[in-house]
Amino acid sequence: MREEYERSFDEISRIVDDTEKFFSSNGVDVSLRTAVDLCIEELFVNMVNYNTETAARILLEMSTVDRGIQVGLTDFDVKRFDPTVLNEVDIDAPVAERTPGGLGLYLVLKMVDSIHYEYNNRQSRITFTIKAVKENV
Amino acid sequence: MFEIAFNDKSEVGLTGRLDAAQAAHAQQFLDQLAGPCVLDMATLDYISSAGLGVLLKTHKRMLAGSSGMSLINVNPHIIDIFRYSGFDKLFNIKVLGT
Repeated sequence: MREEYERSFDEISRIVDDTEKFFSSNGVDVSLRTAVDLCIEELFVNMVNYNTETAARILLEMSTVDRGIQVGLTDFDVKRFDPTVLNEVDIDAPVAERTPGGLGLYLVLKMVDSIHYEYNNRQSRITFTIKAVKENV
Repeated sequence: MFEIAFNDKSEVGLTGRLDAAQAAHAQQFLDQLAGPCVLDMATLDYISSAGLGVLLKTHKRMLAGSSGMSLINVNPHIIDIFRYSGFDKLFNIKVLGT
């Protein structure tokens, strides 16, 4: 699957529909859907929110791997930003010290089995894999 | 699709997907409410960090008035996200089917 999306939150529903079609047509384990949807949304939203100097569409690619799925998101004509560098969140902090925001990439890094970032010629490409059985279990 | 509305028990029912595209709509609805408040999540299928932000902002506002939000009928997928984010420690939560 290879599809481009405008830099708008309105595209999230189309991404969800396309993801559902990919899962269905490729027999991907449906138990992975929430994690895959969440990781795609968080990375897509991050690109839309922080790479504001371009109007280029964002490329989404999906393919099957053993027991799971590999997803790639590519953002064009942007500065380097590596989302795989963990921004620590204190999830044990009391509610008074918690603030909305900052959780998206943290959740992505917790939910993927592997994640890779490449930056070449002003293109940011993030690839992640989610599998039905965690490799480290 | 996402819907937020009062149910027949005067709880706030959430239905569908609370993602970044729907967060502003949810926040607008919840901003009108005073605490305490019960959110029925029986038909909420998905929540992302944008939705978590809406819940936290509303919860903190209500706690400032001495009453927060309770979350009921939360499905297992969403419980997982709450656990990853530490939200299971911030809210009074009742899991779906318990």
